Amino acid sequence: MSIKDNVYYKTFLKEPWPYAVGAVLLGLLNISMLISTGDAWGVTSHFATWAAWIYQSIGGQPEAWLYFQEKGNAAELANGFLKDMQSLSDIGVIFGALLATLLASQFRVKKIKSWKQVAGAIIGGLLMGYGARLSFGCNIGTLFSGVASMSLHGWVYWVFIFIGAWIGGKILLRYLI
Amino acid sequence: MIEQRLDCLGEACPVPLIKAKKKLSNMKSGEVLIIKVDHSCAMNNIPEWANKEGYHVNIKEVDLGLWEIYLIKTK
Repeated sequence: MSIKDNVYYKTFLKEPWPYAVGAVLLGLLNISMLISTGDAWGVTSHFATWAAWIYQSIGGQPEAWLYFQEKGNAAELANGFLKDMQSLSDIGVIFGALLATLLASQFRVKKIKSWKQVAGAIIGGLLMGYGARLSFGCNIGTLFSGVASMSLHGWVYWVFIFIGAWIGGKILLRYLI
Repeated sequence: MIEQRLDCLGEACPVPLIKAKKKLSNMKSGEVLIIKVDHSCAMNNIPEWANKEGYHVNIKEVDLGLWEIYLIKTK
C-alpha cells in the first residue's frame, strides 16, 4: 500500500483539519507563546518593524518617529531581528505553511489570473497593513489575542472587521468577479 | 450528458464557489458541471453548498494540488 492511501497520512497530513481542532491548537499555541516570550501572539506589528529595519539599512531614521518612540516598539526596533521572538514566529508561520503543503503534496506555483487580481491584492494588502497599524494590530494581535486576554478592544475590532468584510464582499461581487 | 466546464485555476476562495453558483443557476437539470480548482478550501465549501442544495458532487485530485469537482444538477 502506498503512503498516499494510508489512513493516518490522509487524516493528519493530506486532508484539512476540522476548524475546532485548529481553534484548540491556536489557543494552546497562544498560551505557550505568552509563557515563552511574555507577549501575546501578533503578526503584522512586526512587519512594520521589518520595514523600519529596511529603511534604517538605506539610511533612514525611523527611530525618530512617534510610533517607534513607544517603549515596546522602540525596544523591538533596537534589539534586531534575531532577538525578536515574534518576528521569528512570523517566519515560522511561513515555513510551517510551506511544510504543510509539501507534506500534503499540494504545492504548486499558481498562475496569475488577471491584472485585476494583482491590483486587488496590492491595494487590499496595503489597506490591510495600514488599517492594522491604525488599530494597533491585525486579526491576530488585536482580535485573537485581544479577546483571549479579556480586553474589550478585541470585541470592538470584531464588530468593525465584520462591517469591513461585508463591504469587501460587496466590492468583490461587484467588481472582481 | 451535457458537460459544462469552469476554470477556476489561480482563484482564491470564495471566488470558485460564487462562480460555480452563478454557472449552475444557468444550467438545466441533469447537466454536469466540472470545476477545475487549485485552492484547497474550495474542496470544503463547494461540496458543502452542493450537499445542502441536494446536488450530486464528486471530487478527483487530477494532479498534485489540482482538483476537478464534478457537480450534477439533479433538479
